[in-house]
Amino acid sequence: MTEVAALPLVARRRALTRALRRNPLLLSGALIAFLLVVVAVFAPLIAPHPADAGTATNPIESLLPPSWHHLFGTDAVGRDLLSRVVFGARISLRIAGLVLASSILIGVPLGLAAGYFGGWIDSVIMRVTDVFLAFPALLLSLALAAVLTPSVGNATIAIAVTWWPWYARLARGQAASVAGRPFIEGARALGVPPVRTLLRHVLPNSITPVIVQASLDVGGIILTAAALSFLGLGAQDPTPEWGLMVSQGQSYFTTQWWLVTFPGAAILVAALAFNLLGDGLREVLDPRRIERR
Amino acid sequence: MTLYVAKRLALGLLVVVGVLILTFVIARVVPGDPAASWVGPHATPQELAKAHHDLGLDKSVPRQVVDYLHGIVVGDWGVSIHTKHSVLSDLASRAPASVELVVAALLIALALGIPLGLASARWRGRAPDLLVRFAAVAGVSMPVFWLALILQLIFFQKLGILPVAGQYDPNLDYTSPLAAHTHMAVVDALVEGNWPVLWSALQHLVLPAVVVAAYPLGVIARMVRASVLETLGEEHVRMVRALGFPERAVFWRFGLKPALNPIVAITALVFAYSLANTFLVEAIFDWPGLGSYVAASTQSLDTPAIIGVTLLIAIVYVVSNLIVDIVQAFLDPRIRLS
Amino acid sequence: MHRLVLVAAAAAVVLTPFALGATSAATTGTFTYGTYTDVMVGWDPSTSYSNEILAMQNMYETLTRYDSRAKKIKPLLATSVAKSKDGKTWTFTLRKGVTFHTGRPMTAQAAKAAIARTMKLHQGAAYIWDAVKSIATPNPSTLVFHLKYPAPLDLISSADYAAYIYDTKAAPAKQLPKWFSAAHDAGTGPYTIDKYAKGQEVEVRLKSYPKYWGGWNGGHYTRVVYRVIPQATTSAQLLRAGEISFAERLTPQLRDSFKSDKNVTVTSQTSFQNLLAMMNTASGPLADKTVRRAIAYGLDYQGIVASLHGGGTLSHGVIPPGLLGHSDSITGYPHDPKKATALLKSKGFGPGGKKLNLTLTYTQGDTDQQLVATLIKSNLAGLNINVDARPLAWPTQWDKAKSADKSKRQDILVFYWWPDYADPYSWFINLYHTEKTPYFNLSYFSNPRIDKMIDKAPSLTATNRAKADALYQTLQKQLLQDAPSVPLYDQAYQRTMLKSVGGFVENPAYPNVVFAYDLHPAA
Repeated sequence: MTEVAALPLVARRRALTRALRRNPLLLSGALIAFLLVVVAVFAPLIAPHPADAGTATNPIESLLPPSWHHLFGTDAVGRDLLSRVVFGARISLRIAGLVLASSILIGVPLGLAAGYFGGWIDSVIMRVTDVFLAFPALLLSLALAAVLTPSVGNATIAIAVTWWPWYARLARGQAASVAGRPFIEGARALGVPPVRTLLRHVLPNSITPVIVQASLDVGGIILTAAALSFLGLGAQDPTPEWGLMVSQGQSYFTTQWWLVTFPGAAILVAALAFNLLGDGLREVLDPRRIERR
Repeated sequence: MTLYVAKRLALGLLVVVGVLILTFVIARVVPGDPAASWVGPHATPQELAKAHHDLGLDKSVPRQVVDYLHGIVVGDWGVSIHTKHSVLSDLASRAPASVELVVAALLIALALGIPLGLASARWRGRAPDLLVRFAAVAGVSMPVFWLALILQLIFFQKLGILPVAGQYDPNLDYTSPLAAHTHMAVVDALVEGNWPVLWSALQHLVLPAVVVAAYPLGVIARMVRASVLETLGEEHVRMVRALGFPERAVFWRFGLKPALNPIVAITALVFAYSLANTFLVEAIFDWPGLGSYVAASTQSLDTPAIIGVTLLIAIVYVVSNLIVDIVQAFLDPRIRLS
Repeated sequence: MHRLVLVAAAAAVVLTPFALGATSAATTGTFTYGTYTDVMVGWDPSTSYSNEILAMQNMYETLTRYDSRAKKIKPLLATSVAKSKDGKTWTFTLRKGVTFHTGRPMTAQAAKAAIARTMKLHQGAAYIWDAVKSIATPNPSTLVFHLKYPAPLDLISSADYAAYIYDTKAAPAKQLPKWFSAAHDAGTGPYTIDKYAKGQEVEVRLKSYPKYWGGWNGGHYTRVVYRVIPQATTSAQLLRAGEISFAERLTPQLRDSFKSDKNVTVTSQTSFQNLLAMMNTASGPLADKTVRRAIAYGLDYQGIVASLHGGGTLSHGVIPPGLLGHSDSITGYPHDPKKATALLKSKGFGPGGKKLNLTLTYTQGDTDQQLVATLIKSNLAGLNINVDARPLAWPTQWDKAKSADKSKRQDILVFYWWPDYADPYSWFINLYHTEKTPYFNLSYFSNPRIDKMIDKAPSLTATNRAKADALYQTLQKQLLQDAPSVPLYDQAYQRTMLKSVGGFVENPAYPNVVFAYDLHPAA
């Protein structure tokens, strides 16, 4: 289902540069995504009031509208919203990174094994992924997060549990497409240990589609994490998580518009940037795949 | 054909059983004390002991799984801690409102998504394409709960139009009472010919439906674009073009029809996703469906209710997937053979 | 197949423009009360002790009613009250021609049966009748109470809870609780239950009781609707659209936004309600008095009040202004982080010491409590105390606090308290008197010396108010020492309602209640 033409690396790189120039959506997505990473890394330097992203409060200055001193205004307990939004980038990207890393670490080996060995191993692993994929991502992570104590960590776990099957599927497709080739058959006949074959010949082929999928998924993970926090099942105050900030601003949004507008816009911009990036990458590297999520 | 359907059904059933087992794990294995999470915080020691027994926690795990599956099949989905009603009856009373909302959203998404996708494919690589693609990506990147608040801000607060809470104005219950047949206000009002309620219900439906439509709209527009482009790239279409038919004729004659086929599939699949998205939207609009039920349940640590909704939507998803596959197999013989 | 889809899509396009239009106006004759949490927690008028007061005070009546403005007791079901010199015999003359919604007449016997049942069940606020030894009914319109010790029975009979007069014969005695919980009422009030939908947004609908003794001449609302709207912003929007007539509570910012609205009135008045942080004195780190005192010193009360933008004022002890025992000379804890640090240090906590982890619960949907929780968390973070603050729906919050398993209970619980009649006794008997199984003493506080002082209060109130005043002040000072709880602020009631709602008078003795019969709708 997910076959990627195995272009040589150089050609692929050249295609990428060309695509960046030709595809303004991909370019803008890549730029904003890069900017977000910069903001996240240098958050303490960028945020005008870094303490406000933590436990500090300043009730005397609560609910101030945007001004030069507080570009995004202040929230109900007088925290600088800009600082919180800036630090929020860290949280969202960290969640996305952790979810992707664990999904890839769990999903890819399982998928490779399924595709390479075939037979009952394949059936079992694929039926398990079928079950997980029978839940919309938000639904399963919500159910899990609801029985765990709400925190960023548990929300991350809940999302990761719903995400790994995609990578298992992806890797399986890759492995299955190479498994039947003569050189693999040869290696098998020569008694090369399967782990080595998998690492040497099968895994490298999977890297490109995994990267494309990962960049596509960042947006979805950021949205899911924000949604869980919005429902009270993720980050807890004073964590400057964007979804939580929208939820806290809900009581004020008609009178103090900045409280929900900025953190919500941050979610949109982040998800949009990574989705544009992922979409563009897919178009360049893998034009035939149709996403079903 | 029969073989294909049988195989597909068997596979679907297997997934449903898997879904049940997974929800079992979430409800009974993940929480430290499943009985406590099942009866909620207020339980007396007696109630707790009873739950411990009722859930079969004193039995072996395989036995528990079997009992659990049996309970689901005979309609014992537990009792909601929050409403004190059986979860299944709660779901039955809440589902229609959500279905009404999601169907309205999908209609909006189709009405806008198909033309946008076509426009995008027609002018590939030019401004309209770029714009539509951006809009489609924005649609799937939209935090719907935020969109809901922003639209309320604009349409109600600033412009003073469109109501923001409930299915229709409850004051109408006195002047033009509505008998509830389906619990979908628009449908009931149509059936009854109750115009004031219909009018009010449609007004109340617009904003939440538009919000829920954001995601399917993006998916459908992208899908239409992709499949039209794929068809137009095929050999026979290129041949026609080479024969000198004007581009517009080629597009409408060959590009359009096959492109619309996958829409049926994608719409069915997006249905369950949109149901899950209502979790984030309904509470904001006080919409009396599954979404506000879930939002209220998360606040009252209502495990049976949350598991019930999860199960329901997962089953809807699996079944709609199944139906799509079988319908497509009927329409397209190639699928049967693969 | 896709043709069908297209037709449906076309239909949606055609229908959409119809949906754009003006919003509805309120139906005249219907008073819609917008509240933020479920109304009918209980249905039994004897045991009800929660938010259902909003509707019950319109379905049921008491013998007397306290007028907070005039600080006077007014007749209701009783037309007059007389007490003996020793304050131990009270004679109530009942109104004639009053019927229950069940159709039976309200007689002295019926009234006695209702109070007797309340006393026998002894739940909720039933303690208010504890002084009563016996009730006599010399004739159908005379009710005589004989007391064990002097007590202000005219005030007690005006209580907001546990003082309802209702028809105990509405169902056989054993089935009565079940009959009530099936959403029935058996009061004498102007309104009776029309429709109830648990968990729904429009939760309770009341309709006028045609045979109400007050009659239906002159302008009255004939229907009262309670609509649960969790978000204050939604309430404000519904009020603006005229879909609700009255918003129980909005944020100060939302109220300000109505100042220029010609169709809306905003009122504000001090109340008998305060917000308290109940600390777990029975288990966990706060069982240690020193740690509790450190927390009391650690909170920035001025900051909390500032963030409320007029929604509350600084507390002076447990008793809010306007009630016996209140004194501005009681100052409570100042915000003194140094002192707090020193106290924590003596127990190995505080900056540089062990980290202290506390759980705090507050009521979901209450913006003020959300603010306070954030501020508490922020204040205590500076003292190396991590507060895990969780918003919960009130029934869940309460259930958690009453958990049989002590480890499931919270360390700090934030909630409101208000008295059962215009008297401070309610705080002390409910929140600080020893309880075997916790009900509202959610600090799980127990001090026999304080119990004894509390027990003396009611009779002293009936006989010597000056002495009672002094007793309450001593009690408050002692409670500040033991610190089972900290009063965070005294609430101001701020209502927002349509201008068309006439005759609204805030009566803090019946918190958040709107007596709908007393309103007159503008035509």
